Amino acid sequence: MLRKKLAIALLLFALPLFAQADTQWVLQQSTLTYHMSHPMHEVNGVSHAAKGKGICHAGECNFLIAVPVKSFDSGDSNRDLHMIEATRGAQFPMVIVRTEFPEADTTSPTIYANLEVQFAGQTAHYQHVPFQRVTQGNQVRITGTIPATCSDFKIVRPSFLTVPIKNEIPVKVDMTWQKM
Amino acid sequence: MKRITAKFVPIGGIAIAFLLTPLAVRAQTFAGISGIVKDSAGKPVSDAQVSIKDVATAQSAEIKTNTAGAYMESDLTPGTYTVSVSAEGLTPQTSNVTLIASEDEHTDFVLGTEAQQQQETPPSKLPAAPQPNQQTSPAGNANTPSLQDLGFAASQTQGSAKEQALLNKRTHMLKVHQTLGLITAIPMVATLITGPQAKAKGKNGEPITEPTSANLDFHIALGGLTTGLYFATAYYAIFAPKVPGVKPKGAIRLHRDLAWIHGPGMIITPVLGIMAYKQENAGEKVHGIASAHGTAAYITAAAYGASIVAVSWPIHWKFWER
Repeated sequence: MLRKKLAIALLLFALPLFAQADTQWVLQQSTLTYHMSHPMHEVNGVSHAAKGKGICHAGECNFLIAVPVKSFDSGDSNRDLHMIEATRGAQFPMVIVRTEFPEADTTSPTIYANLEVQFAGQTAHYQHVPFQRVTQGNQVRITGTIPATCSDFKIVRPSFLTVPIKNEIPVKVDMTWQKM
Repeated sequence: MKRITAKFVPIGGIAIAFLLTPLAVRAQTFAGISGIVKDSAGKPVSDAQVSIKDVATAQSAEIKTNTAGAYMESDLTPGTYTVSVSAEGLTPQTSNVTLIASEDEHTDFVLGTEAQQQQETPPSKLPAAPQPNQQTSPAGNANTPSLQDLGFAASQTQGSAKEQALLNKRTHMLKVHQTLGLITAIPMVATLITGPQAKAKGKNGEPITEPTSANLDFHIALGGLTTGLYFATAYYAIFAPKVPGVKPKGAIRLHRDLAWIHGPGMIITPVLGIMAYKQENAGEKVHGIASAHGTAAYITAAAYGASIVAVSWPIHWKFWER
Protein backbone atom coordinates (compact mmCIF):
# COMPACT_ATOMS: atom_id res chain seq x y z
CA MET A 1 0.00 0.00 0.00
CA LEU A 2 2.81 2.33 0.94
CA ARG A 3 4.62 1.51 -2.31
CA LYS A 4 1.50 2.33 -4.28
CA LYS A 5 1.13 5.71 -2.59
CA LEU A 6 4.80 6.45 -3.15
CA ALA A 7 4.51 5.60 -6.81
CA ILE A 8 1.47 7.86 -7.24
CA ALA A 9 3.20 10.66 -5.38
CA LEU A 10 6.28 10.38 -7.60
CA LEU A 11 4.13 10.30 -10.68
CA LEU A 12 2.21 13.40 -9.59
CA PHE A 13 5.47 15.15 -8.84
CA ALA A 14 6.96 14.21 -12.18
CA LEU A 15 3.96 15.11 -14.35
CA PRO A 16 4.46 18.89 -14.25
CA LEU A 17 8.10 18.37 -15.18
CA PHE A 18 7.08 16.44 -18.29
CA ALA A 19 4.41 18.98 -19.10
CA GLN A 20 6.88 21.89 -19.00
CA ALA A 21 9.73 20.09 -20.75
CA ASP A 22 11.31 22.35 -23.35
CA THR A 23 12.29 21.19 -26.77
CA GLN A 24 15.40 22.76 -28.18
CA TRP A 25 16.46 22.91 -31.79
CA VAL A 26 19.89 23.79 -33.11
CA LEU A 27 20.69 24.77 -36.68
CA GLN A 28 23.07 22.13 -38.03
CA GLN A 29 23.72 23.43 -41.53
CA SER A 30 22.27 26.06 -43.78
CA THR A 31 22.44 27.64 -47.19
CA LEU A 32 21.07 31.15 -47.50
CA THR A 33 21.04 32.64 -50.98
CA TYR A 34 20.04 36.18 -51.87
CA HIS A 35 19.18 36.92 -55.47
CA MET A 36 19.88 40.29 -57.04
CA SER A 37 18.48 41.14 -60.42
CA HIS A 38 19.48 43.81 -62.93
CA PRO A 39 18.57 44.02 -66.61
CA MET A 40 22.16 43.00 -67.40
CA HIS A 41 22.99 40.91 -64.36
CA GLU A 42 21.64 38.02 -62.35
CA VAL A 43 23.62 37.54 -59.14
CA ASN A 44 23.33 35.05 -56.31
CA GLY A 45 25.13 35.54 -53.00
CA VAL A 46 25.48 32.46 -50.83
CA SER A 47 26.22 32.03 -47.13
CA HIS A 48 26.64 28.87 -45.10
CA ALA A 49 27.53 30.76 -41.91
CA ALA A 50 24.11 31.06 -40.29
CA LYS A 51 23.63 29.94 -36.72
CA GLY A 52 20.31 29.32 -35.10
CA LYS A 53 18.52 28.10 -32.04
CA GLY A 54 14.91 27.32 -31.29
CA ILE A 55 13.13 26.78 -27.99
CA CYS A 56 9.66 25.32 -27.74
CA HIS A 57 8.00 25.92 -24.42
CA ALA A 58 4.40 25.61 -23.29
CA GLY A 59 3.20 24.97 -26.83
CA GLU A 60 4.96 27.97 -28.33
CA CYS A 61 8.23 27.94 -30.28
CA ASN A 62 10.71 30.81 -30.51
CA PHE A 63 13.42 30.61 -33.13
CA LEU A 64 16.38 32.88 -33.71
CA ILE A 65 18.62 32.69 -36.77
CA ALA A 66 21.54 35.03 -37.41
CA VAL A 67 24.08 35.31 -40.19
CA PRO A 68 26.95 37.77 -40.74
CA VAL A 69 26.36 40.06 -43.73
CA LYS A 70 30.01 39.63 -44.69
CA SER A 71 29.60 35.88 -45.08
CA PHE A 72 27.60 36.17 -48.31
CA ASP A 73 29.74 35.30 -51.31
CA SER A 74 28.64 36.23 -54.83
CA GLY A 75 31.88 35.06 -56.44
CA ASP A 76 33.20 38.59 -56.90
CA SER A 77 34.96 40.34 -54.03
CA ASN A 78 34.27 43.81 -55.42
CA ARG A 79 30.55 43.13 -55.66
CA ASP A 80 30.51 41.67 -52.16
CA LEU A 81 32.19 44.75 -50.71
CA HIS A 82 29.71 46.95 -52.54
CA MET A 83 26.88 44.84 -51.13
CA ILE A 84 28.25 45.28 -47.59
CA GLU A 85 28.51 49.03 -48.15
CA ALA A 86 25.02 49.35 -49.64
CA THR A 87 23.45 47.31 -46.84
CA ARG A 88 25.48 49.13 -44.15
CA GLY A 89 26.89 45.73 -43.26
CA ALA A 90 29.96 47.08 -41.47
CA GLN A 91 27.84 49.12 -39.08
CA PHE A 92 25.09 46.51 -38.76
CA PRO A 93 27.04 43.31 -39.36
CA MET A 94 24.36 40.71 -38.64
CA VAL A 95 21.12 39.68 -40.27
CA ILE A 96 18.89 38.54 -37.42
CA VAL A 97 15.65 36.68 -37.97
CA ARG A 98 13.19 35.95 -35.20
CA THR A 99 10.04 33.92 -35.49
CA GLU A 100 7.52 32.29 -33.23
CA PHE A 101 4.75 29.83 -34.00
CA PRO A 102 2.70 27.17 -32.23
CA GLU A 103 4.63 24.02 -31.42
CA ALA A 104 1.92 22.00 -33.17
CA ASP A 105 3.07 23.56 -36.47
CA THR A 106 6.46 21.88 -36.18
CA THR A 107 4.92 18.64 -37.39
CA SER A 108 3.01 20.02 -40.37
CA PRO A 109 4.55 19.79 -43.86
CA THR A 110 4.22 23.56 -44.38
CA ILE A 111 5.02 26.04 -41.65
CA TYR A 112 3.62 29.56 -42.04
CA ALA A 113 5.95 31.77 -40.07
CA ASN A 114 5.74 35.41 -39.08
CA LEU A 115 9.26 36.74 -39.38
CA GLU A 116 10.95 39.72 -37.81
CA VAL A 117 14.09 40.51 -39.76
CA GLN A 118 16.75 42.93 -38.56
CA PHE A 119 19.04 43.97 -41.38
CA ALA A 120 20.88 47.11 -42.45
CA GLY A 121 19.84 48.90 -39.27
CA GLN A 122 16.16 48.40 -40.01
CA THR A 123 13.53 45.93 -38.89
CA ALA A 124 11.01 44.44 -41.30
CA HIS A 125 8.16 42.03 -40.66
CA TYR A 126 6.94 39.34 -43.03
CA GLN A 127 3.67 37.58 -42.31
CA HIS A 128 2.70 34.00 -43.14
CA VAL A 129 5.86 33.12 -45.03
CA PRO A 130 5.53 29.47 -46.12
CA PHE A 131 8.37 27.07 -45.38
CA GLN A 132 8.41 23.45 -46.48
CA ARG A 133 9.32 20.95 -43.81
CA VAL A 134 10.77 17.48 -44.37
CA THR A 135 11.73 15.17 -41.50
CA GLN A 136 14.98 13.27 -41.94
CA GLY A 137 15.45 11.08 -38.86
CA ASN A 138 16.10 13.34 -35.88
CA GLN A 139 16.64 16.27 -38.19
CA VAL A 140 14.22 18.56 -39.95
CA ARG A 141 14.95 20.26 -43.24
CA ILE A 142 13.26 23.60 -43.79
CA THR A 143 13.17 25.30 -47.20
CA GLY A 144 11.49 28.49 -48.33
CA THR A 145 11.98 32.01 -49.56
CA ILE A 146 11.88 35.26 -47.60
CA PRO A 147 10.36 37.91 -49.91
CA ALA A 148 12.77 40.67 -48.89
CA THR A 149 13.04 43.95 -50.79
CA CYS A 150 15.57 46.79 -50.72
CA SER A 151 12.90 49.28 -49.68
CA ASP A 152 11.97 47.17 -46.63
CA PHE A 153 15.40 48.01 -45.23
CA LYS A 154 15.85 51.46 -46.77
CA ILE A 155 18.68 50.18 -48.94
CA VAL A 156 19.56 52.53 -51.75
CA ARG A 157 19.50 50.26 -54.77
CA PRO A 158 22.92 50.02 -56.43
CA SER A 159 22.87 50.85 -60.10
CA PHE A 160 24.87 49.84 -63.13
CA LEU A 161 24.89 52.01 -66.24
CA THR A 162 22.50 54.30 -64.35
CA VAL A 163 19.90 51.48 -64.11
CA PRO A 164 19.21 50.38 -60.51
CA ILE A 165 18.84 46.76 -59.50
CA LYS A 166 15.34 45.39 -58.91
CA ASN A 167 13.79 46.20 -55.58
CA GLU A 168 13.19 42.51 -54.86
CA ILE A 169 16.07 40.64 -53.22
CA PRO A 170 14.45 37.30 -52.28
CA VAL A 171 16.44 35.14 -49.89
CA LYS A 172 16.21 31.39 -50.38
CA VAL A 173 16.52 29.44 -47.19
CA ASP A 174 17.63 25.83 -46.85
CA MET A 175 18.22 24.82 -43.25
CA THR A 176 18.69 21.58 -41.39
CA TRP A 177 17.67 21.63 -37.73
CA GLN A 178 18.60 19.08 -35.12
CA LYS A 179 16.32 18.34 -32.21
CA MET A 180 18.35 18.29 -28.99
CA MET B 1 52.06 77.30 -89.03
CA LYS B 2 48.68 75.79 -88.45
CA ARG B 3 50.34 72.72 -86.98
CA ILE B 4 51.90 74.81 -84.23
CA THR B 5 48.43 75.46 -82.78
CA ALA B 6 48.02 71.70 -82.53
CA LYS B 7 50.58 71.69 -79.70
CA PHE B 8 48.02 73.35 -77.49
CA VAL B 9 45.19 71.07 -78.49
CA PRO B 10 46.08 68.10 -76.24
CA ILE B 11 46.59 70.47 -73.32
CA GLY B 12 43.10 71.81 -73.97
CA GLY B 13 41.77 68.25 -74.10
CA ILE B 14 43.32 67.37 -70.76
CA ALA B 15 42.00 70.62 -69.29
CA ILE B 16 38.48 69.76 -70.47
CA ALA B 17 38.87 66.31 -68.92
CA PHE B 18 39.69 67.81 -65.55
CA LEU B 19 36.80 70.25 -65.87
CA LEU B 20 34.44 67.35 -66.50
CA THR B 21 35.72 65.32 -63.56
CA PRO B 22 34.12 67.41 -60.79
CA LEU B 23 30.74 67.08 -62.54
CA ALA B 24 30.97 63.31 -62.24
CA VAL B 25 32.18 63.60 -58.66
CA ARG B 26 29.42 65.99 -57.64
CA ALA B 27 26.78 63.54 -58.83
CA GLN B 28 27.93 60.98 -56.26
CA THR B 29 27.62 62.90 -52.96
CA PHE B 30 25.44 61.74 -50.09
CA ALA B 31 25.71 61.19 -46.34
CA GLY B 32 23.88 59.62 -43.45
CA ILE B 33 23.20 59.84 -39.72
CA SER B 34 22.93 56.87 -37.40
CA GLY B 35 23.23 56.10 -33.73
CA ILE B 36 21.83 54.34 -30.71
CA VAL B 37 19.35 55.64 -28.17
CA LYS B 38 19.71 54.31 -24.64
CA ASP B 39 18.19 55.12 -21.30
CA SER B 40 20.27 56.15 -18.31
CA ALA B 41 20.59 52.48 -17.29
CA GLY B 42 22.27 51.74 -20.61
CA LYS B 43 19.35 49.79 -22.06
CA PRO B 44 18.41 50.38 -25.69
CA VAL B 45 15.23 52.43 -26.14
CA SER B 46 13.10 50.93 -28.87
CA ASP B 47 10.40 52.85 -30.77
CA ALA B 48 11.90 56.18 -29.75
CA GLN B 49 10.85 58.98 -32.09
CA VAL B 50 13.83 60.44 -33.98
CA SER B 51 13.41 63.64 -35.96
CA ILE B 52 16.18 64.65 -38.37
CA LYS B 53 15.68 68.22 -39.53
CA ASP B 54 17.69 69.94 -42.25
CA VAL B 55 18.50 73.35 -40.77
CA ALA B 56 18.83 74.94 -44.23
CA THR B 57 15.54 73.74 -45.73
CA ALA B 58 13.55 73.04 -42.53
CA GLN B 59 12.56 69.69 -44.03
CA SER B 60 12.55 66.84 -41.56
CA ALA B 61 12.45 63.06 -41.58
CA GLU B 62 10.70 61.12 -38.82
CA ILE B 63 11.96 57.64 -37.97
CA LYS B 64 11.84 55.28 -35.00
CA THR B 65 14.53 53.26 -33.28
CA ASN B 66 14.48 49.49 -33.66
CA THR B 67 14.55 46.94 -30.87
CA ALA B 68 18.29 47.50 -30.43
CA GLY B 69 17.67 51.24 -29.99
CA ALA B 70 19.37 51.95 -33.31
CA TYR B 71 18.25 54.56 -35.81
CA MET B 72 19.60 55.43 -39.20
CA GLU B 73 18.80 57.78 -42.06
CA SER B 74 20.77 57.75 -45.30
CA ASP B 75 20.77 59.72 -48.56
CA LEU B 76 21.03 63.07 -46.86
CA THR B 77 22.61 66.00 -48.57
CA PRO B 78 25.64 67.50 -46.80
CA GLY B 79 24.76 70.23 -44.32
CA THR B 80 23.72 70.83 -40.74
CA TYR B 81 20.92 68.79 -39.21
CA THR B 82 19.13 68.94 -35.88
CA VAL B 83 18.51 65.47 -34.49
CA SER B 84 15.78 65.31 -31.84
CA VAL B 85 14.99 62.15 -29.90
CA SER B 86 11.99 61.55 -27.67
CA ALA B 87 10.51 58.53 -25.93
CA GLU B 88 7.65 58.04 -23.52
CA GLY B 89 8.63 58.79 -19.94
CA LEU B 90 12.10 60.00 -20.89
CA THR B 91 13.52 63.46 -21.35
CA PRO B 92 13.83 64.47 -25.03
CA GLN B 93 17.25 65.36 -26.36
CA THR B 94 18.51 67.36 -29.31
CA SER B 95 21.88 67.49 -31.02
CA ASN B 96 23.22 69.34 -34.06
CA VAL B 97 25.12 67.26 -36.59
CA THR B 98 27.11 68.51 -39.57
CA LEU B 99 27.28 66.12 -42.50
CA ILE B 100 30.11 66.00 -44.99
CA ALA B 101 29.65 64.43 -48.42
CA SER B 102 30.09 60.66 -48.41
CA GLU B 103 30.62 60.53 -44.66
CA ASP B 104 28.23 58.97 -42.16
CA GLU B 105 27.92 60.58 -38.74
CA HIS B 106 27.27 58.48 -35.67
CA THR B 107 25.43 60.25 -32.86
CA ASP B 108 24.24 58.38 -29.78
CA PHE B 109 21.73 59.61 -27.22
CA VAL B 110 21.25 58.80 -23.56
CA LEU B 111 17.76 59.74 -22.40
CA GLY B 112 17.29 60.29 -18.69
CA THR B 113 14.06 60.41 -16.74
CA GLU B 114 12.49 63.65 -15.61
CA ALA B 115 14.06 63.16 -12.18
CA GLN B 116 17.47 62.79 -13.70
CA GLN B 117 17.14 65.84 -15.90
CA GLN B 118 19.42 67.98 -13.78
CA GLN B 119 22.21 65.42 -14.01
CA GLU B 120 21.58 64.43 -17.56
CA THR B 121 24.44 63.24 -19.68
CA PRO B 122 24.69 65.25 -22.88
CA PRO B 123 24.34 63.28 -26.10
CA SER B 124 27.62 61.66 -26.93
CA LYS B 125 29.04 62.04 -30.36
CA LEU B 126 31.18 59.00 -30.75
CA PRO B 127 34.29 59.03 -32.85
CA ALA B 128 34.54 56.70 -35.79
CA ALA B 129 35.61 53.74 -33.69
CA PRO B 130 34.25 50.25 -33.21
CA GLN B 131 30.82 50.46 -31.64
CA PRO B 132 29.23 48.08 -29.24
CA ASN B 133 27.00 45.57 -30.88
CA GLN B 134 24.02 47.49 -32.13
CA GLN B 135 21.99 44.46 -33.06
CA THR B 136 22.22 42.37 -29.97
CA SER B 137 18.83 41.32 -28.80
CA PRO B 138 17.99 41.83 -25.18
CA ALA B 139 19.38 38.94 -23.19
CA GLY B 140 17.22 35.97 -23.90
CA ASN B 141 15.37 34.17 -21.17
CA ALA B 142 14.97 30.44 -20.81
CA ASN B 143 12.26 30.40 -23.47
CA THR B 144 13.64 32.89 -25.98
CA PRO B 145 17.05 32.42 -27.59
CA SER B 146 19.32 35.44 -27.82
CA LEU B 147 22.11 36.37 -30.20
CA GLN B 148 24.64 35.58 -27.48
CA ASP B 149 23.34 32.00 -27.39
CA LEU B 150 24.44 31.39 -30.97
CA GLY B 151 28.16 31.59 -30.30
CA PHE B 152 29.27 34.21 -32.77
CA ALA B 153 32.60 35.87 -32.09
CA ALA B 154 32.40 39.44 -30.85
CA SER B 155 34.28 40.59 -33.95
CA GLN B 156 31.44 39.26 -36.08
CA THR B 157 28.61 40.92 -34.21
CA GLN B 158 30.11 44.29 -33.33
CA GLY B 159 29.46 47.05 -35.81
CA SER B 160 32.12 49.50 -36.85
CA ALA B 161 31.20 53.01 -37.95
CA LYS B 162 34.81 53.50 -39.02
CA GLU B 163 34.74 50.50 -41.33
CA GLN B 164 31.38 51.60 -42.73
CA ALA B 165 32.80 55.06 -43.44
CA LEU B 166 35.75 53.44 -45.23
CA LEU B 167 33.40 51.33 -47.34
CA ASN B 168 31.26 54.37 -48.14
CA LYS B 169 34.30 56.30 -49.30
CA ARG B 170 35.50 53.33 -51.32
CA THR B 171 32.16 52.92 -53.07
CA HIS B 172 31.93 56.65 -53.70
CA MET B 173 35.35 56.73 -55.35
CA LEU B 174 34.68 53.60 -57.39
CA LYS B 175 31.37 55.02 -58.61
CA VAL B 176 33.24 58.07 -59.85
CA HIS B 177 35.82 55.68 -61.35
CA GLN B 178 33.04 53.82 -63.16
CA THR B 179 31.34 56.96 -64.44
CA LEU B 180 34.55 58.55 -65.66
CA GLY B 181 35.66 55.23 -67.14
CA LEU B 182 32.55 55.00 -69.29
CA ILE B 183 32.85 58.66 -70.30
CA THR B 184 36.50 58.06 -71.26
CA ALA B 185 35.49 55.30 -73.65
CA ILE B 186 33.69 57.86 -75.87
CA PRO B 187 36.69 60.06 -76.83
CA MET B 188 38.87 56.94 -76.87
CA VAL B 189 36.75 55.36 -79.61
CA ALA B 190 36.59 58.69 -81.45
CA THR B 191 40.39 58.97 -81.25
CA LEU B 192 40.74 55.51 -82.78
CA ILE B 193 38.32 56.41 -85.58
CA THR B 194 40.09 59.67 -86.39
CA GLY B 195 43.54 58.04 -86.21
CA PRO B 196 43.69 56.77 -89.82
CA GLN B 197 42.41 60.11 -91.08
CA ALA B 198 45.16 61.89 -89.20
CA LYS B 199 47.76 59.60 -90.71
CA ALA B 200 46.73 59.65 -94.33
CA LYS B 201 43.55 60.30 -96.25
CA GLY B 202 42.58 58.56 -99.43
CA LYS B 203 40.82 60.51 -102.15
CA ASN B 204 39.19 58.75 -105.05
CA GLY B 205 41.35 55.75 -104.29
CA GLU B 206 44.58 57.79 -104.47
CA PRO B 207 46.47 58.22 -101.18
CA ILE B 208 47.76 61.64 -100.30
CA THR B 209 51.10 62.04 -98.61
CA GLU B 210 49.98 64.12 -95.63
CA PRO B 211 46.87 64.43 -93.52
CA THR B 212 45.04 67.71 -93.30
CA SER B 213 45.79 69.92 -90.31
CA ALA B 214 42.15 69.80 -89.28
CA ASN B 215 42.16 66.02 -89.10
CA LEU B 216 45.41 65.95 -87.16
CA ASP B 217 44.32 68.66 -84.72
CA PHE B 218 41.03 66.90 -84.07
CA HIS B 219 42.78 63.58 -83.49
CA ILE B 220 45.29 65.17 -81.11
CA ALA B 221 42.52 66.98 -79.20
CA LEU B 222 40.60 63.73 -78.77
CA GLY B 223 43.77 61.94 -77.71
CA GLY B 224 44.51 64.63 -75.13
CA LEU B 225 40.95 64.47 -73.80
CA THR B 226 41.13 60.68 -73.59
CA THR B 227 44.45 60.80 -71.76
CA GLY B 228 43.23 63.36 -69.25
CA LEU B 229 40.02 61.48 -68.55
CA TYR B 230 41.87 58.17 -68.34
CA PHE B 231 44.24 59.31 -65.63
CA ALA B 232 41.42 61.01 -63.72
CA THR B 233 39.59 57.66 -63.90
CA ALA B 234 42.67 55.79 -62.75
CA TYR B 235 43.13 58.16 -59.81
CA TYR B 236 39.75 57.19 -58.34
CA ALA B 237 40.59 53.47 -58.55
CA ILE B 238 44.16 53.70 -57.30
CA PHE B 239 43.34 55.91 -54.33
CA ALA B 240 40.06 54.26 -53.33
CA PRO B 241 40.51 52.91 -49.77
CA LYS B 242 41.57 49.29 -49.59
CA VAL B 243 39.69 46.95 -47.29
CA PRO B 244 42.15 44.91 -45.21
CA GLY B 245 41.95 41.16 -45.54
CA VAL B 246 39.97 41.10 -48.77
CA LYS B 247 41.66 39.37 -51.68
CA PRO B 248 40.38 40.22 -55.16
CA LYS B 249 38.21 37.39 -56.45
CA GLY B 250 36.14 36.93 -59.58
CA ALA B 251 35.85 39.24 -62.56
CA ILE B 252 37.38 42.15 -60.67
CA ARG B 253 40.75 40.37 -60.82
CA LEU B 254 40.76 40.41 -64.62
CA HIS B 255 39.57 44.02 -64.57
CA ARG B 256 42.50 44.92 -62.34
CA ASP B 257 45.07 42.84 -64.25
CA LEU B 258 44.13 44.39 -67.59
CA ALA B 259 45.22 47.73 -66.15
CA TRP B 260 48.78 46.46 -66.51
CA ILE B 261 48.21 46.57 -70.28
CA HIS B 262 46.09 49.69 -70.82
CA GLY B 263 47.88 51.67 -68.08
CA PRO B 264 51.32 51.60 -69.71
CA GLY B 265 49.53 51.80 -73.07
CA MET B 266 48.00 55.13 -72.10
CA ILE B 267 51.50 56.45 -71.41
CA ILE B 268 53.25 54.92 -74.42
CA THR B 269 50.57 55.78 -76.99
CA PRO B 270 50.60 59.58 -76.45
CA VAL B 271 54.42 59.60 -76.29
CA LEU B 272 54.61 57.77 -79.63
CA GLY B 273 51.91 60.08 -80.97
CA ILE B 274 53.96 63.15 -80.06
CA MET B 275 57.00 61.58 -81.75
CA ALA B 276 54.95 60.83 -84.88
CA TYR B 277 53.56 64.34 -84.85
CA LYS B 278 57.05 65.87 -84.65
CA GLN B 279 58.28 63.70 -87.49
CA GLU B 280 55.34 64.67 -89.69
CA ASN B 281 55.73 68.30 -88.72
CA ALA B 282 59.36 68.11 -89.81
CA GLY B 283 58.22 66.88 -93.21
CA GLU B 284 59.34 63.33 -92.55
CA LYS B 285 57.38 60.19 -93.02
CA VAL B 286 56.60 58.63 -89.63
CA HIS B 287 59.33 56.11 -88.94
CA GLY B 288 61.05 54.13 -86.23
CA ILE B 289 59.32 53.43 -82.97
CA ALA B 290 56.83 56.24 -83.61
CA SER B 291 55.25 54.11 -86.34
CA ALA B 292 54.00 51.82 -83.56
CA HIS B 293 51.69 54.61 -82.30
CA GLY B 294 48.62 53.12 -84.02
CA THR B 295 49.34 49.56 -82.89
CA ALA B 296 49.88 50.68 -79.31
CA ALA B 297 46.62 52.62 -79.43
CA TYR B 298 44.62 49.63 -80.67
CA ILE B 299 46.10 47.28 -78.04
CA THR B 300 45.43 49.86 -75.32
CA ALA B 301 41.85 50.40 -76.43
CA ALA B 302 41.24 46.64 -76.72
CA ALA B 303 42.53 46.08 -73.17
CA TYR B 304 40.45 49.00 -71.93
CA GLY B 305 37.31 47.64 -73.58
CA ALA B 306 37.98 44.16 -72.19
CA SER B 307 38.43 45.73 -68.77
CA ILE B 308 34.96 47.30 -68.95
CA VAL B 309 33.41 44.02 -70.08
CA ALA B 310 35.27 42.07 -67.38
CA VAL B 311 33.98 44.18 -64.51
CA SER B 312 30.46 43.93 -65.89
CA TRP B 313 30.63 40.15 -66.13
CA PRO B 314 28.49 38.04 -66.09
CA ILE B 315 26.29 39.97 -68.47
CA HIS B 316 22.73 38.85 -69.01
CA TRP B 317 22.72 39.46 -72.75
CA LYS B 318 19.01 39.07 -73.45
CA PHE B 319 18.13 42.06 -71.30
CA TRP B 320 15.39 43.03 -73.73
CA GLU B 321 13.46 39.94 -72.66
CA ARG B 322 13.18 41.23 -69.12
